[in-house]
Amino acid sequence: MKNTNGKKILYILVEKKVKPARFIEIYRKNYGDINKTLDYFYKYKSLKLEYKTNEEDHIDFNHSNNCYQKVVDFILKNEVGLLDIGENSYPDILRQIYLPPPLLFFRGNKIKKAQFSIAIVGSRKCTAYGREVAGYISRNLSEIGITVVSGLAVGIDSYAHKAALEGKGGSIGVLGCGIDIIYPPENKYLYEEILSNGSIITEFLPKTPPLKNNFPVRNRIISGLCRGVVVIEAGEKSGAIITCEMALQQNREVFAIPGNVFNPMSRGCHKLIKSGAKLVESIDDILEEFSQYSEGILKLCGNSSYINNQQANDKRGANLDNNELKVYEFIGYNPKSVEEIVKYSKIEVKEVLRILTSLEIKQLIKEDSFNKYSRLF
Amino acid sequence: MLFKLDSFTLIGIDAIKVSVEVHISRGLPEFIIVGLPGKAVNESRQRVRSAIINSGFDFPVKKIIVNLSPADIKKDGSYYDLPIALSILTASEQIRCGIFNESCFIGELSLDGSINPVKGLISMAEKARDMEKKFFFVPYEIANQASFISGVSIVACKSLVETVKVLAGGEQIEKFICKDKEKNISNRNNRYNFDLKDVKGQLKAKRALEIAVSGRHNIMLIGPPGSGKTMLAQRAVSIMPDLNLEECIEVTKIYSLYEKYVNHLIQERPFRNPHHTISRVGLVGGGINPRPGEISLAHKGLLFLDEFSQFPKNFIEDLRQPLENKAVIITRNHLSYSFPCNFMLIVATNPCYCGYFGDEGRRCICSLREVRKFWKKISGPIIDRIDMRVTVARLKESSFIKTECGESSNQIKNRIKKCINMQNERFKGKNVSYNSEIGINIINEWLKNNKNIRDLIYTISRKYNLTARGMVSILKVSRTIADLEESENIKDCHIIEAVHYRVGSNNPDSSICI
Repeated sequence: MKNTNGKKILYILVEKKVKPARFIEIYRKNYGDINKTLDYFYKYKSLKLEYKTNEEDHIDFNHSNNCYQKVVDFILKNEVGLLDIGENSYPDILRQIYLPPPLLFFRGNKIKKAQFSIAIVGSRKCTAYGREVAGYISRNLSEIGITVVSGLAVGIDSYAHKAALEGKGGSIGVLGCGIDIIYPPENKYLYEEILSNGSIITEFLPKTPPLKNNFPVRNRIISGLCRGVVVIEAGEKSGAIITCEMALQQNREVFAIPGNVFNPMSRGCHKLIKSGAKLVESIDDILEEFSQYSEGILKLCGNSSYINNQQANDKRGANLDNNELKVYEFIGYNPKSVEEIVKYSKIEVKEVLRILTSLEIKQLIKEDSFNKYSRLF
Repeated sequence: MLFKLDSFTLIGIDAIKVSVEVHISRGLPEFIIVGLPGKAVNESRQRVRSAIINSGFDFPVKKIIVNLSPADIKKDGSYYDLPIALSILTASEQIRCGIFNESCFIGELSLDGSINPVKGLISMAEKARDMEKKFFFVPYEIANQASFISGVSIVACKSLVETVKVLAGGEQIEKFICKDKEKNISNRNNRYNFDLKDVKGQLKAKRALEIAVSGRHNIMLIGPPGSGKTMLAQRAVSIMPDLNLEECIEVTKIYSLYEKYVNHLIQERPFRNPHHTISRVGLVGGGINPRPGEISLAHKGLLFLDEFSQFPKNFIEDLRQPLENKAVIITRNHLSYSFPCNFMLIVATNPCYCGYFGDEGRRCICSLREVRKFWKKISGPIIDRIDMRVTVARLKESSFIKTECGESSNQIKNRIKKCINMQNERFKGKNVSYNSEIGINIINEWLKNNKNIRDLIYTISRKYNLTARGMVSILKVSRTIADLEESENIKDCHIIEAVHYRVGSNNPDSSICI
């Protein structure tokens, strides 16, 4: 393994049981000189007795029953990379947060290359609307070269990842468990897909189970990696809201997507908007906040023009026949039930059902809740 | 003196002949029944003795031996009271009669000599006809049940005395023959108390039911509580075509085994709605003396399994073979009993544990894992046999008050009749009668010359991630839709509609993505 510093840090953290917070403290005291920091720790044999437990020492490496050698063997065997805080390719923006992870395990090289990232977070149990928005925002961000960071959970996270992989921005997934653990299991394929145009990172040692406490810890990395956090569909108390709190502490922008007033899943977002988060309708609203960078971003990404998809949207539905158009126009963005459509259009039920399916196949509408349809964005 | 007359016992739903032989000889007074009698048959000694005495005859003070032949089949039930009593009376020369050879008897005696109903009468009447008997003496109360069997005269007597009078010629036998008053099955239109027009809204589900009944596709209704799944399922029988006489007799046969007091020919399609706490035997049939289970009681009709997810998994697996074979064979006591069970299956389930997954108004409180677990429990081989899955949404409060009605069951029934006729015509000579029963070879034939359809299927299966089995189901259903429109070939629009009854972006069964 090339990364000798990384190995040393690993040794200090695992064998000498130095807490990450302690490590960062010393690292900061040495003005970010990684060699001095390492020397400091190597001087002492038993560091354990030297200091009392700090409140911020929230990562307990003892979960994994790992010893240093096992971890090294593991990363060699599975081609897992180590990224230490002293390295140049360690994201600057992450280094600046209050408690950056001294060591990151990663797969996929995106983490070293990502120039400008935005996090997309939201509920695991999103609605069809949330799903659409996640895909829409994420795809557009990625198209102009912005990397989308999320938590590799189901729901909003996975839709954001999937859509981002289509563009050149790619995607970074931050785990709340060891890098060898796929959690939740249904995202197995997503893991492999992400490696094609992104990376998976974690600060936890291999074999760390996805414990409840890990996730808030993980969330600080998500927000730390990004300039801004976009919240799509969050309950009043949820992981997404925690990420936003972290983001504010870290001086990041918070964006929220508005939702249906009656939907409890919009509560969190609306609360954020009320307390000052920026309401986002399209990625223009996001880029606006970074106007000082935006030219730079676009230059960095080598792309200075992107089409606003919304305009293109209006042209959809061009090659539909009369009845289809009638139904499509009636459906609009508010969900309409089959009964309402039949009543309005005066078309036979079976015909309506056929139209609905064919519109669905043409990717123009979607089934929102049972038997209720609305337009796709 | 020796005397012998004919009666019946039941094996499954079929009757077989039993000869009741009586020998009265000198010796110590004794009354013995042999020929593997069950408890009820053995007890009939007491009933017969009292009934004979109370009817004003003498009970011979001699050694009486009754044999029920064939002697190696176990006999149970109270069928033989009347034949034993008559045999004893004849053997002791108290009555004399010329028509014993062309008659057969069945009936339970009460102590005062009146005749009580027994089970399975109609099957016995059929057997009597096959044995070319002229008269079949049955309990009066349930005589109508058997009166539709032509070829044998059903003689309905109220008591032992009456029977003896008829046999001895004291009364004219014609007076007691149960006249087939309603030889033609009545063509009443409103056989059922409910009508599909009672259901407000739910246009998609109604249309789906029409298709399902037409092609005999099994269907699953998925919806939150209170969305009308049960109501819809109940009304599905009202759009099934009427039973013809043969089918009526078949259904009555099963029901006469199930309960004693079936006093008429059953002409309604059965609707069975067993609760999910039902036992395995109750569902499939069985017991020491095998009885039809719910699946057989639903023969020619509907089996509705509400709260499908609550049924134990292995019970549901038990349905597989009966669904394929249209009959269930139960082996008990060294005998195989076969019960027909040609039914249509409707299952209803909530979309998740709390029931509100995918509902518009109320939020589902299940975690995603729970929803998935819920569906994992249901899915399996049985779900492959369910061609159509339809989501049923809750109605808005305002739509309950609306008075406008949809089509009535009769209108729909007429269309379905046509469609079924078309299928019968097509499958003439083949081993199938409904679209749902066809195999892949027939489907391939349809697709052979139609490239458009094949392309469409390819697109759809990619878009919705369908399995081969899913596609076959869609094709079967689209064939039925085409039949409903009297179209010779399957067209694009038929397939597209069929897709509607299989998937939906919210279909929790495919990849869950709420």
